[in-house]
Amino acid sequence: MLKIDRRIIFLVIGLCTLLPLLYPVGLPIKISSEVRGVYDHIESLPEQSVFLLSIDFDPASKPELYPQAIALLRHAFRKNLRVITMTLWVSGTGMADQIVTQVAKEMSKEYGTDYAFLGWSPGGQAVIINMGQDLYSAFPSDYGGRPTKELAVLNGVRNLKDVGYMVDLGAGKPGVEEWYVFGKDKYKFELGGGCTGVMAPGLYPLLRSGQINGLIGGLRGAAEYEILIDQKGQAVAGMDAQSATHIAIIVLVIICNVFYLSLRRAARAQGQAG
Amino acid sequence: MDATIFGAWVATGLTLLIFSFLYKDNPLFKLAEHLYVGVSVGYTIVKAYDTVLVHLVVKPIVEQGEISLLIPVGIGMLMLTRYVPKAAWMSRYAFAFIVGMGAGLAIPRTISSFILKQVEDTIRPLLSIGGSDGVTFSMNLLNPASNLNAIIILLGVSSVLFYFFFSIEHTGAGKVVARTGIMFLMISFGAAFGYTVMARMSLLIGRLTDLIEYSDASYGRPTIWLLMGIVGALFLLSRKRQEHPPDSH
Repeated sequence: MLKIDRRIIFLVIGLCTLLPLLYPVGLPIKISSEVRGVYDHIESLPEQSVFLLSIDFDPASKPELYPQAIALLRHAFRKNLRVITMTLWVSGTGMADQIVTQVAKEMSKEYGTDYAFLGWSPGGQAVIINMGQDLYSAFPSDYGGRPTKELAVLNGVRNLKDVGYMVDLGAGKPGVEEWYVFGKDKYKFELGGGCTGVMAPGLYPLLRSGQINGLIGGLRGAAEYEILIDQKGQAVAGMDAQSATHIAIIVLVIICNVFYLSLRRAARAQGQAG
Repeated sequence: MDATIFGAWVATGLTLLIFSFLYKDNPLFKLAEHLYVGVSVGYTIVKAYDTVLVHLVVKPIVEQGEISLLIPVGIGMLMLTRYVPKAAWMSRYAFAFIVGMGAGLAIPRTISSFILKQVEDTIRPLLSIGGSDGVTFSMNLLNPASNLNAIIILLGVSSVLFYFFFSIEHTGAGKVVARTGIMFLMISFGAAFGYTVMARMSLLIGRLTDLIEYSDASYGRPTIWLLMGIVGALFLLSRKRQEHPPDSH
């Protein structure tokens, strides 16, 4: 067993992923307090509040963060918030535009009045600082080249201090940490985060200390958010497969350890006999 | 051909080519890998050129007469002197500016956010004052602010710090504390690895979801056709390799 061809393990994991996707079971999904933190804050915002969403990921992290972005935008549009979106990742610009346009169209929202996509601006953390001082200096024009000062959705918004709530969906740097360090800590606005599963353990200390008020972690977090807004999508559909693969991995780890220990015991017994 | 259908065929093909590595390393995987790198770099260059050079530099200077932008442009241009050995020293001014500004911005903010705020959150009372009843102790592990969690954090932080304190030999009572620190570290690594597994599985789920969607007749069933094509190509490559094994010299 310890010398098993790794392709058999790939096949087992592949089947454990594929079968639940083809034949979903619908396992229950419990809502965690960290995901509820983001949801509750958006729920508490009055209509026409400014909601800033920074889509800081590229297609490589799409399976985890795309469902989060879709769910957050649906929630914000449903609450009639003024939605401002942007990205600090140049490689994610086209995808971010596609996400925002798709959800806005679905929710019948008008560009410039209900939402805007500012696009990408170079500088990473410098852009955050610049936005804290003057949003129009960081983004003189939006993704389509229209002057941002002419966008009705930005009326009364001068800098980050005028933002009602900001959520960063980050897959690395710049991401949630940078938005806290150079944004919230300096300009004092409410911040929530969404991230890939790999990054989530590193962001829990920020959550516990109240530096961010909520955290959507990976596909699981996206599924929880989809349940909260009562609009099941890609993330909920993937949770059965996630559970099945986790069980398969746990079983494989246990089996390998049993074989390893029995082999070690046999080798010891042989050594004593010799 | 409709752009969506064409996109589905390209996405399916590239996904299957990358997955072919799970069988073994092969030229089809390398083709997809090189395409990925090339497209990513190409896209980044085009976006950077359009956003930075055209919209943030050339247009404001030419159309709005913002001459002050020539200062950052000049500093940026100094970096290019790295390619001229005799003038390479000039690039140091640009690097000095970037390093100095970056450090100046990052150091105080990082100390405030990741050291002071985290220390402040770590130092919590082990007992709470509960109104007229006096001192209370809450046992709720699910509540981050509970006293029991404060004790666990105290034990974890102290033992892990002790584990990394090498001036005292870890023997006797010190060994117990250091081993407790290792236990906390192992639990932390386990949690991080668990999340990593979840993340990687999510990526697989994402690709398989797309492959299932693209097996639909409305897209022309690219998943099925391309899967057959790639399996066939791998079989032929394997046969060719058996007939003409690569020279070991």
